[in-house]
Amino acid sequence: MSPAARMVLPLGALVALALWMMAARSLPWPGWPLDPAAMSLDQIRMGYGLMPRGVIAPLAGAALGLSGAILQVVLRNPVADPTTLGISAGAQLALVLTTIFAPGVLEGGRWPIAMAGGLAAAAVVLAIGAARAFAPVTMVIAGMLVGLTASAVATAVTLAQGQYLLSLVIWNGGSLVQQDWSGVRNLALVLTLAGLAAAALARPLRVLSLGAEGAAGLGLNVAAMRLAAVVLAVWIAASVAAELGLIAFVGLAAPALARSLGARSIPALLVWSPVLGALILSLCDGLVLAVAGLGGETFPTGALTGLVGGPLLIWLLPRLRGSTPPGRERGEGPAPRRARPRRLLAALAGGLLVMALALLWIGRVPGGWAVLDAGSLAAFLPMRLPRLIAAGASGAALALAGAILQRLTANPLASPEVLGVSGGAALGFAAVTFGVAAPAALALTLGSMAGGALALAIVIAFTTRRDMPPERVLLAGIAVSALASAVLSAMMAVGDARAWAVLTWLSGATGTVTMTGALALAGLAGVVWLAALAAGRWLALLPLGAGVAVGAGLNLPRVRLALVAMAGLATGAATLITGPLSFVGLMAPHLARRIGLARPADHLTGSALIGAGLMLAADFGARMAGFPYELPLGLFATLIGAPWLIWLMTRTPR
Amino acid sequence: MTLFSLRNLSVDVPGRRLLDDISLDLPQGRMIALIGHNGSGKSTLLKVLARQGAATGQVSFEGRPLSDWRARDHARRLAFLPQTLPPAEGMLVRELVALGRYPWHGALGRVTPADRNAIARAMAECGVEAFADRLVDSLSGGERQRVWLAMMVAQQAGTLLLDEPISALDIAHQVEVLALVRRMCHQGGRSAVIVLHEVNMAARFCDHIVALKGGRVVLQGSPADLMRPETLHRIYGLRMEVLTRPDGPPVAVPA
Repeated sequence: MSPAARMVLPLGALVALALWMMAARSLPWPGWPLDPAAMSLDQIRMGYGLMPRGVIAPLAGAALGLSGAILQVVLRNPVADPTTLGISAGAQLALVLTTIFAPGVLEGGRWPIAMAGGLAAAAVVLAIGAARAFAPVTMVIAGMLVGLTASAVATAVTLAQGQYLLSLVIWNGGSLVQQDWSGVRNLALVLTLAGLAAAALARPLRVLSLGAEGAAGLGLNVAAMRLAAVVLAVWIAASVAAELGLIAFVGLAAPALARSLGARSIPALLVWSPVLGALILSLCDGLVLAVAGLGGETFPTGALTGLVGGPLLIWLLPRLRGSTPPGRERGEGPAPRRARPRRLLAALAGGLLVMALALLWIGRVPGGWAVLDAGSLAAFLPMRLPRLIAAGASGAALALAGAILQRLTANPLASPEVLGVSGGAALGFAAVTFGVAAPAALALTLGSMAGGALALAIVIAFTTRRDMPPERVLLAGIAVSALASAVLSAMMAVGDARAWAVLTWLSGATGTVTMTGALALAGLAGVVWLAALAAGRWLALLPLGAGVAVGAGLNLPRVRLALVAMAGLATGAATLITGPLSFVGLMAPHLARRIGLARPADHLTGSALIGAGLMLAADFGARMAGFPYELPLGLFATLIGAPWLIWLMTRTPR
Repeated sequence: MTLFSLRNLSVDVPGRRLLDDISLDLPQGRMIALIGHNGSGKSTLLKVLARQGAATGQVSFEGRPLSDWRARDHARRLAFLPQTLPPAEGMLVRELVALGRYPWHGALGRVTPADRNAIARAMAECGVEAFADRLVDSLSGGERQRVWLAMMVAQQAGTLLLDEPISALDIAHQVEVLALVRRMCHQGGRSAVIVLHEVNMAARFCDHIVALKGGRVVLQGSPADLMRPETLHRIYGLRMEVLTRPDGPPVAVPA
């Protein structure tokens, strides 16, 4: 460790201790050994609340740091951690489902359930990663897709059964509040066993860091070793998740800090990551204690680690150079190219029109389906037309943004959802909901647009750096998304009416759209489409890489800025209708390319048409599936889209 | 007239100096080889010349400092081919070559007959008309290299910068590509700067050699200056023998 580290570590430990002491000074110390019968109320609060809390913070932090370090080493991926790989979200979904559908199972403890959920999520992510040689960015995007899908399902269930799940929502935020010493005992046991296992794995992991081929050449059973290490990391993370909830980013930040403080070798990383993890979580919890005091017991520490971790990830990204194996992100084999794309585009446009008309006329009535007659159509039109237009336009706008971003970054997995614009918009919406008493629709609109713009500004700060490779830009977007979701889950934990307003909007709703709003959105989608067509030559050059694009005379910073702004505008507006989760921006350009639309103009137009169609279908499904109640639009789109995408990603590239 | 004029050029990355205080003039209208051992800084130097890498010091191209050029004006005068050819997903040969016209018509300008003419001539010059309507990614390595050269030719730039254009090709295609570049220089009145690994190829095809070692220039001169055992030893740190044939250019082999 460097001399700086020798200063930082004791200093950090001292500050953490001082913060805890500040919280503890109002309570009397209990006598030893602890005996509840002989203690005053305040002594019990001290001995069974604050003291175990002070111990569990470093324990959990150390466990998460260890888990993150193991994952980063075994996957050779500097941004792997339980959060970015979807493990925590998988554990959360398992717990939510069990709480609702089989509460009896919880008698056996939350651990096995969280463990099963986390492992299932990790298995899906690893299956996707295996098809693409564990390329770091693919892994993180796959992890995020799995995580978002799990969260979407969990949100849907929470929406349906809301009032019973408040405690679960608090758990989601990662609260460190303790009532006895059992959590400390459990985590201490986990940490001891995990430490021993990690020590045994240290040498094989070092061999594995040479890459699969090199390690196999040295006689290591690569598959078995990977499996053992990942299962160990998931077990640690799931244990912490079951005990305390989602504490994001500690697993990411601790190994990164250890590396930047000079831990080069793998044994050093495995030793120092837990130490730094313990320090980070103790400091965060100390801050929560100092700010909220003992009164704010439900304020989750996990939210604070999210606040610290998101910016940390963003700060870290430019410094990752050289630490990542150059994993090439490949598409799934050559896509066909159609000789006469115009006909296909005309057919798509025609199909979209027929579909819109059909959806206008068909409806579900109690007991069956009905085609509206002229009279009822006139009655329904003012209600149905705006939402059809809004759904179609938002789908088209998201698809255009996705097509632009995929060409800009030369990465088939780029999309507005991945780039963090949606997450930023959600943060802006939530900030207005919580900051303003009874906010008007306009304030909410402005808030989410400002949030989206802010997220965009951060990502733009990356794109304008000339030497910034596209996959790093994607990671910046993921950092913003992760930050947004961490803060959102903290806001949820407050658990009052405002939280429900945010939760409802997060899943997307077209029900409240006015005709003016719908037409404005359609107009915006049209403008973005025309602008993207005008930028067609840029979009043809950019997938060839920065070297060729600059060589051909492209003013790269300015071009990137213009395109990112275009995509951001489209996303920000569409997000207001669909909510931040929909994946249309990822799916539609993919589909357009798959059916043979290769030239930029055809690809863009085809993406927009398909995106509009997908969103119309999702809107129809959301209205009809749960008739007479409406399911949230974005949620429905996610439930269609994400599994399809995961299937797409698991296919082996040819 | 000098093509490039470099004064006190240095490139640093954290912990390492890639190019160390290079001052150099490169002549116009010649085929110039940049050679050196692995890590000697030859690709870095080429990237700086192509305005694709940051550096300290002064570099001027055709008498004007590099930073004074507007992006598209620069691209009209100079074309750059990166070492690894990027995949051209879903793109036809014709479309890729046409992208070479971007510096001339820009994002929104009309495609003029002059543009079409330049594209047709570039495809003819590089012999890629036969696969004009095929997907770039479906071609073999040698064909693909020629297609990318055609894109550079369509750019109608007076100067070509090529980063190891033959490293992935078999010997027949190596000769074919270098002969093509040589023809472009000598008959088309262009200049070229080429990063090469292969000493014999450099000596046989290029008119002017610049050799780097550890980020510094160790030789600038003719192929004859290069093909001496003591010079080669200075550049590569390896004893080499130069075999001369009565009827052809000398050949260097490890001693």
